[in-house]
Amino acid sequence: MEERTPTLILEHVNKSFGKFKAVDDLSITARPGRVFGLIGPNGAGKTTTIRMIVNISVPDSGHIELFGQRMHTALQDRIGYLPEERGLYPKMKIGEQLKFFAELKNLDSRRSDQSIDGWLKKFQLSDWKEKRAKELSKGMQQKVQFIASVVHDPDLLILDEPFSGLDPVNVELMKEVIVEQKTIGKTIILSTHQMDIAEQLCDDICMIHKAQKVLDGRLRKIRSSFGRHAVSLRFEGGDGVLDDQTLVAQVKQKSDEIEVLLAPEAQAQLLLRRLVDSGATVTKFEMVEPSLHDIFIEKVREHQ
Amino acid sequence: MKKFLAVVKREYVQRVRTKFFVVVTVFGPVMMILFTVVPGVIFSMKAGEPTRLAIVDETGKMYERLRDELARSDNESVDAASRSMADPINPNSNSNNRISQAGRMVHGNYEVEEIKRGQQTMAEVELSLDQQVAQKKLDGYLVLPKDLLAGGRPEFHVRNAADPFASEHIQDCVSRAVRAERLREAGIDEGRVQEMFARANVITRRVGGSGEESKSNQNFYLVFGMGLAIYASILLYGQVVLGAVIEEKQTRIAEILFSSMRSFPLMVGKLTGVSLVALTQLGIWALALLALATWGVASLASRGVQVTVQVEPIVLLYFVLYFLLGYGLYATLYALIGSIVTTAQEGGQLAMPVVLMLVAGFYFAFPIIRSPNSSMAVWSSMVPFFAPVTMLVRIVTERPPFWQIALSLSIGAATMVALVWMASRIYRVGMLMHGKKASIPEIWHWLRQS
Repeated sequence: MEERTPTLILEHVNKSFGKFKAVDDLSITARPGRVFGLIGPNGAGKTTTIRMIVNISVPDSGHIELFGQRMHTALQDRIGYLPEERGLYPKMKIGEQLKFFAELKNLDSRRSDQSIDGWLKKFQLSDWKEKRAKELSKGMQQKVQFIASVVHDPDLLILDEPFSGLDPVNVELMKEVIVEQKTIGKTIILSTHQMDIAEQLCDDICMIHKAQKVLDGRLRKIRSSFGRHAVSLRFEGGDGVLDDQTLVAQVKQKSDEIEVLLAPEAQAQLLLRRLVDSGATVTKFEMVEPSLHDIFIEKVREHQ
Repeated sequence: MKKFLAVVKREYVQRVRTKFFVVVTVFGPVMMILFTVVPGVIFSMKAGEPTRLAIVDETGKMYERLRDELARSDNESVDAASRSMADPINPNSNSNNRISQAGRMVHGNYEVEEIKRGQQTMAEVELSLDQQVAQKKLDGYLVLPKDLLAGGRPEFHVRNAADPFASEHIQDCVSRAVRAERLREAGIDEGRVQEMFARANVITRRVGGSGEESKSNQNFYLVFGMGLAIYASILLYGQVVLGAVIEEKQTRIAEILFSSMRSFPLMVGKLTGVSLVALTQLGIWALALLALATWGVASLASRGVQVTVQVEPIVLLYFVLYFLLGYGLYATLYALIGSIVTTAQEGGQLAMPVVLMLVAGFYFAFPIIRSPNSSMAVWSSMVPFFAPVTMLVRIVTERPPFWQIALSLSIGAATMVALVWMASRIYRVGMLMHGKKASIPEIWHWLRQS
């Protein structure tokens, strides 16, 4: 079921600005009913990639296929895009702006009215429909901007850093909506540098670093393939055990516990035995999956 | 198409609905009237009391004449014919005329008294008069020497020597009085002389026209009115176009727009929307002006003055076409500037050459009036940025062949399209470059980049 026809395929896409290579030989595939995470630090090439997907710019070489067709202007109507740089017309009423954005996506008037009212209600903004954008708080404006990207019920929803600047309540609301869109079969591309959020929401990820893909695939597979190499520990005594280089590759001191990255080939059970043997009192010993953050760091290191 | 219309509608509705638009539309004509009528009124106002003037007449026969001369200009303005008669020696240069006319208006009010020298010496008289002037009992005095008629120079002593109108006017009156007295002494009838110096009014007819009396003057003013209309509307709306193009850059909406539509229809939509706003406003003003003019003509007609305005329909059509072309071209230039810069202030600086180009069109108009078929006239009417003025001048003076008009219109339209294309391209690529102002090489690069 998960192997439905891909919504979006990028094949060997390249884009340069002058001598600067923004996207280098990138190939990705995004499928319906899944959240695809485009992950990487600022300046990695995420936004450039997205701009090519939404047909703002054209790749220097390579191939982009959307809904089984080569990219062309009419396909833009089936994409919803929330850019990282957000804006609204400050003097225009919220209802009118949303209607304008819906018209730009070829939505007819009756359907757009329904859709706008529905979305405003969902985000508790119905009372603000006749207000001008500049009268809204920043958080409200962000929600309006999000509505502008989904008002025409797009099949592909592209969100560039959708959570930046939102308060925790609205972050949760936004997450809910994303999951909801996913369950009704939409394709969602989530671009972010916040690894923890990607971890929570994404089904598939593609990590980009300095214009190049360093890793992609299903999040679950990626994490398991990185093996259970990390252990979360809490203990007293047992001096010197963690200094053994054949056992422990890296030690990270967290607030009240220690995270240990095991050396390659080392067994977690061995570590536990050594700790017990050394007379330490172990109060916590838990295998942890590596975080996306750790994976990313490691991948980048490998890459260089 | 639907997207294009959505852009047009937004630009139009958002602007027309503002208070600013309503205020400018209503008060624009009021301001215009204020700026044209009020200076005239102020200029013709006589500030304060009549000018008190003493005249010391050594000739003993000039005082009456001069007094009448000063009094005459008091309540009636001397009509042009008699003035040119009365001043046949002076080659009436236009500016001189205007100054003396204005002087007449402002200084048309005198209190004149004659001072008899009696037994006093001239120096004594002058001393006492100087005192009176200093005590502000007098504003000035005029000394007419004995040999005035033989070329002696009268002296005008005045407190406010900086007033050019006063001395100019006194000069006029004295010379008229002197001239009349000389004529009388030579035994020549003044009335006869006036008849002889009557102006021969030349009627200008255009050869090859429909045989009617040419309205070339009237058309000529229409062309200038037209040029001014383009000029004024560009100054008014150029900034609006600029602002409209910059708006999405500043509000960061550009990216959403570009992800929904191509930049060319977006740019055309913006231009169209703002232009419709301009046309709405100009239309309202034009109707108001027309109503006013109709009323004016009617009220003149009721007083027996016939005013006929005759413009050939085809000329009117050309006017409309060239107005649209002129407006469109310059608005597009502003859009192009808007696509390059990031703030309206920067845009204002870059717009300077555009305004200069507009003015240059007017300069071409003058030589073209004299020789409407010279090669300079033909070429300048093919340059799209000058054509709205230069081609219209040619059309009303010596109608150029139709193909030339058609060609100049086509060149203009093509230029406009090319400029919009450039603007939309620069706009889109520039936006992707994180909105910094572009250098010329960068712009060139953007144009070629997709």
